[in-house]
Amino acid sequence: MKRLRQFPTLHIDTNETRSLKYRGKSLQGFAGDTVATALYANGIRIFSRSLKYHRPRGLYNLDGESSNTCMEVDGVPNVRTENTLLKDGMVVKAQNVKGSVDHDLMAFIDKLDWLMPAGFYYKTMHKPAAVWPVAMKAIRKAAGVGTISADYKVKGRYDEIFLTADVCVIGGGAAGMMAALTAAESGVRVIVLESRPHLGGCWDYRTGAYKENKPLFARARELAGQVENTSNIRVFKQTSMVGAYNNNLITAFQVGKSNDAFTERYVEIRSKSVVVATGCIERPLIFENNERPGVMQVACAHRLARSYGLLPGEAAVFSIGHDLGLEAALDLFDLGLKIRCVADIREDGHDAGLLAALAERKIPVLKGWVAAKAHGCKQVTKVTLATLDGTVKRHIPCDLLVASAGHTPVNGPLILAQTNIAYDNHSGFFLPKKLPEKMFSAGWMTGRSHPQAIEASGQVAGLKALAAIGVTDKTAVFAAEKEAAALPGIDRGCKLVTAPVKGRKSFICFDEDTTIKNIKQAIDMGFDVPELIKRFTSAGTGPGQGGIPGHNLPLFVSKYTASASKPMPTAVRPPLVPTLLATYAGAHHHMFKRTPLHASQKKGGGIFRNIGVWQRARYFSSDFDCKDEILNVRNNVGLLDSSTLGKFRIFGPDALKALQRLYVSDMSKLKQGRIKYSAMCNDDGCVIDDGIVIKRGDNDYYVTTSSGRAGNTVEWFRYHTRYDGWQYHMVNLTDAMGVINISGPNARKVLKKIADADISNNAFPFAGYREFTVKNTIPVRAMRLGFVGELSFELHVPSSYMQSVWDMLMAAGAEFNIKNFGLEAQNVLRMEKGHIILGQESEQRTNLLDLGLGFLWDRKKTAAKTVGAVALRQAENDPGRFKLVGIRMQDDARAPRDGALIVDTHVRGYVATARKSFTTGEAVGMALVESQLSKPGSRLEIYEDECNEIRLQARVVPMPFYDPDGQRMKM
Amino acid sequence: MALTLTCPICGKRNGYEFRYGGEDKGSRPDEKGLSPADWCDYVHMNTCTAGVQKEWWFHRDGCGAWFSTYRNTLSNLEVDRPEDST
Amino acid sequence: MLFTYKSLWGKKPRLKSSYEVVIIGGGLHGLATAYYLARDHGITDVAIVEKRYIGFGGAGRNTAIVRANQRTQYNVPLYKEALDLWPVLTKELDFNLMFNNCGNLNLMHSEAAMKAARMTIATAQFHGVESHLIDAKQAKEMVPALNISEDITFPIHGAMYHPPGGIVRHDAVVWGLAKGCAKKGVHIHQQTEATAIHTQGGKIAGVTTSQGHIKTPKVLVSAGGYSAGVINHMLGLKLPISVLTIQAMVTQPLKPLLNHVVSSGAYHCYANQTLKGEIATGAHMDPWPNYTTQTTAHYIKHQAEALSDWLPCLRGVRFMRIWGGLADMTPDMAPILEGNDPIGGFYMDCGWGYFGFKSCSAAGKYMAQFIATENCPDMLKPFNLRRYEKHQLMGETAALVSYTPDN
Repeated sequence: MKRLRQFPTLHIDTNETRSLKYRGKSLQGFAGDTVATALYANGIRIFSRSLKYHRPRGLYNLDGESSNTCMEVDGVPNVRTENTLLKDGMVVKAQNVKGSVDHDLMAFIDKLDWLMPAGFYYKTMHKPAAVWPVAMKAIRKAAGVGTISADYKVKGRYDEIFLTADVCVIGGGAAGMMAALTAAESGVRVIVLESRPHLGGCWDYRTGAYKENKPLFARARELAGQVENTSNIRVFKQTSMVGAYNNNLITAFQVGKSNDAFTERYVEIRSKSVVVATGCIERPLIFENNERPGVMQVACAHRLARSYGLLPGEAAVFSIGHDLGLEAALDLFDLGLKIRCVADIREDGHDAGLLAALAERKIPVLKGWVAAKAHGCKQVTKVTLATLDGTVKRHIPCDLLVASAGHTPVNGPLILAQTNIAYDNHSGFFLPKKLPEKMFSAGWMTGRSHPQAIEASGQVAGLKALAAIGVTDKTAVFAAEKEAAALPGIDRGCKLVTAPVKGRKSFICFDEDTTIKNIKQAIDMGFDVPELIKRFTSAGTGPGQGGIPGHNLPLFVSKYTASASKPMPTAVRPPLVPTLLATYAGAHHHMFKRTPLHASQKKGGGIFRNIGVWQRARYFSSDFDCKDEILNVRNNVGLLDSSTLGKFRIFGPDALKALQRLYVSDMSKLKQGRIKYSAMCNDDGCVIDDGIVIKRGDNDYYVTTSSGRAGNTVEWFRYHTRYDGWQYHMVNLTDAMGVINISGPNARKVLKKIADADISNNAFPFAGYREFTVKNTIPVRAMRLGFVGELSFELHVPSSYMQSVWDMLMAAGAEFNIKNFGLEAQNVLRMEKGHIILGQESEQRTNLLDLGLGFLWDRKKTAAKTVGAVALRQAENDPGRFKLVGIRMQDDARAPRDGALIVDTHVRGYVATARKSFTTGEAVGMALVESQLSKPGSRLEIYEDECNEIRLQARVVPMPFYDPDGQRMKM
Repeated sequence: MALTLTCPICGKRNGYEFRYGGEDKGSRPDEKGLSPADWCDYVHMNTCTAGVQKEWWFHRDGCGAWFSTYRNTLSNLEVDRPEDST
Repeated sequence: MLFTYKSLWGKKPRLKSSYEVVIIGGGLHGLATAYYLARDHGITDVAIVEKRYIGFGGAGRNTAIVRANQRTQYNVPLYKEALDLWPVLTKELDFNLMFNNCGNLNLMHSEAAMKAARMTIATAQFHGVESHLIDAKQAKEMVPALNISEDITFPIHGAMYHPPGGIVRHDAVVWGLAKGCAKKGVHIHQQTEATAIHTQGGKIAGVTTSQGHIKTPKVLVSAGGYSAGVINHMLGLKLPISVLTIQAMVTQPLKPLLNHVVSSGAYHCYANQTLKGEIATGAHMDPWPNYTTQTTAHYIKHQAEALSDWLPCLRGVRFMRIWGGLADMTPDMAPILEGNDPIGGFYMDCGWGYFGFKSCSAAGKYMAQFIATENCPDMLKPFNLRRYEKHQLMGETAALVSYTPDN
């Protein structure tokens, strides 16, 4: 197709070609073309087949308001080709097609529409019941538009950017640009978001007069130049605003240019004030076959010619309801389009100058006429025009039908930001009742279309935005408002929704193939609110985000139900423009913490797991039962990296009070040089943490928490003392200090070689706490614990020295064949000792007493208002609680799986942890059971998943299972 | 919705930096003579106010302060302290 | 004629001055309770008063997943019955509820989670509910789009596969139940707001609505996210409920990609494909109470990040629509079903969090029995309000929320 060249509004560069692949052929377009305009230039008229009826669909508009031109581009489904810039080498495919898009084998469905009235699937397909699964499969296959393969990897780089601004202007048309320039004059930081690749809005291609001898497009370019050259205005082009949230948070996505470092990026702007100047889109005219290829909207036809150099057809009929239709007809005629006739819905109110110009060119104008039907099965060949009452008809052959009932403001950004809109009878627009704080609207969307009025409204909005953030005062706003008020006001709009037709093939929503007839059916079935009709008929729920039916649906419902109330709009939801998940995800990356020993643990054969926020070595044995690790600790000596333990310094005059509030034990009895094991509960008495408390000096304590609680500990302490005004400080040392656990009968022999202190059992007994150095340099906090049930030292070492100390211990232990052990080995070792791990032996509802830890609780310190104490007191005689017990299997051959149930006729508890002990040879574990089953000797039936009703037998036994007197850890 | 909150130390910040800490119910009651119902009321029960309520927040991704402020649950925006509040 | 276009719920009824039972809230639980009051107990003198239109609230905003793999023995039987009722109701109501019995996969991302899953699965199997633990490879076979590599934030260890679950068309349930109610003579009053509940001598006396006063001895509040506020505002009863906004979203429609409901506690994320082809996803919630149903930028981004990890092909797909709804959360993720305590004739059905849809049929059935007989059915006894003051929380928390033990 020959392009029109050489006029100032073109956005294509005919010197630079771009190729694309479509249906096996290589086609040519130009730089600046969208995928769809390039296809159109190559004679492509059918772009897709519709969702339900497989009707041919063509280019209808250029801003992605329908899915008509959604195609698969480079493997990505549902790309809106009409506003996606063509890049060299793109591979394009039509969607929802069986056969080819021109000869779709499924096209016969269009004849079966009578079988598929509104909501037909609710009323059918369930009788008899066996039909449904079969029908469902068929529905699933037929539904959906694009295809994506399960292993698809999207190409490109996706980024994100978070900005702040004083004024954010949405829409780079004349009003938006005026608002931006006005605001920028005061020196504030302004951002302009424009979805097209260039500023200018609808003036960009319009030839109408701005002032004498200056067409609108020239004025648009003038303003754009000023905006681009203002240093405190940051312009984002090809950036579609997708979300507006209260508090003026604006989100958008930007498509990268060829020299940008990103393919697309997510843009989030927190702006002090916002100006919305998104203009209008056309309100579709509804008649029979109103979406047949060859039917398009006014701006689409006009822009094809003016921006892309494409005459949209040869001979056209216009069916319109506004002056922009007349203006476009005139301009397109002058560019060479034959115009058979212009049918204008309006009887009066036309622009006299435009009518005179049309008459001059002998273009017939029929007032009070409208298109009633488009003929031609794949492409318009003829149009039936009718008077508004449908009594007189005329048939006119043509290959292009430019159809547009009126305009509708792009209110999406306002509505998302919680603006209530209401129908305005004069303009036929939904207009805001009251704008949210610090958000203003300007331009055509306010109902004005006179060029000077548009600019003035932009100026007012810019000043209002400044006033709202205290940069100017209100007097400037009042002056500008007064000036604007003198200009032409809100236009009268055309209200016609449909041509005088029954509406069997008159589509109110293209994406979902919803007809006027469907809407009538839904209303007759009792769905009388637009929002419900939307749900029942799916109208407006497709990829076009309601662009096509958004205005017509409420209008039609109001007319059809003859309801006294005004048309009620349906909901608008983000994203206003469908947005790739890749773009939303942006520069998404993983966050995991590594201990100071990560690398050496890995080298040592550690098999890592993500546990909470940490990556930790869980196994050093590929068989996962960790026998060697376990026996090495029991009989020799092993090293464990426990760096993830929560570690805190708590100090200050009220530190003890805080400890008394949070821990169940009496912390006033703490002695320096001794460790105290205790627990923290929540206000239901349930255990949320356990750990060690150490007194290092007056009002100075060092505490450990479980790894998973470390992140919440400061919050927890402060929360429970928030009313008290106590003076104490907490320092989270979790990342500053690492922890090495050295355990086993040979542990002392190894540690002795590097510690600068006497660590004999007398000098440093069980439950003791010592601080000493290693090699006269490295400060170590050492405690003697017995979690794994052997002689054991826990060394808290500054993180930067962790690797050194670890290496020294490894070297010192080489003669004993010292080895790593991991978390699973520790898990089994401590289980044999009957030591609990919270979250494994407890769940959210398990209290201190259930776990047998009541001995930790000091009941006398009521004045401390200890967290959990009230609930523990209230629950202590409740027989209906679970108890933690030791169990031993009747058959020692194997332990039950963790999580197996204890049952009789009901569930009576569950197995928390159970293993066959390598140390004792017994299959033992811990279980939480109802209290009546908790007595030693009670028989338990265990029900595992997939057990086929074969239950395992066990009985309750005393704990611990290993070294009951605790001699080994006190060695 | 895009909540912002005013931390007494760090100023107005993104709401996602904070952790909600419940309706303001006053300081911990004395343990003596506290019935299970009273305690449950303090610990679990909420007024579920539709409107402005005083509530606690923790600046988790910030300074680590607990503070109370007022928020309208119908708009999800922080508001000035109402005149009739205590 | 093949199709008729008569109103599904007949003519709009006029508000009478008295009813035997008044139900506040025209959502799924209110409609289901009214339906069963009429069907099982012959009580048809029932008014449902709904401030907006039926299905405006959670009923129309959930993502329609149904399943019975709850964690505790108190919950499993209730949800099992609810699950079994979908085909029954489809037939009874003569309205296709479009139960897509596609099965649910609940992904497990750690060994601890696998253990937790075993317990849930054993509980399900013990109660005759089918549920199995499968490994990552098996999960990948069922869901080819799944990323089971090690280099994601939460590598997939396996999944809890629950074949009887799936998706039901939520709007259809609303409309079907409304149709069933209207047919049996229940009055559904839309655009009618209850403004006060009256008591006399510790018993319910009536309800004032925006359309007039109603005398009644029995009131059920089943107003979803608004229940706790309504109950406190009108009767001064505080509940252990926090009302949070939960969001869900759909992508553009695609040809079949996911044949199951897939969810992940660690990622706070689920995904399934609707019959229309959209990938519906959601699950996270903003952790502070509010009554807006507004969505957040933070959340749609979070969802994209999560899906990028575990269903990476969806990076090439576009989000089309996100919406929010209210979830009334209790501390133990289990509902409050209570009656005649402390006010005679007053019933409440609330605190469902995000389980309100999947439970509605069975909850309605037993609440109807409760209201009709004035005796709490055994099925509902564990859901009493007093459990919170007895410190006997339900332990349902781990049903979806991630499970990580502390070492």
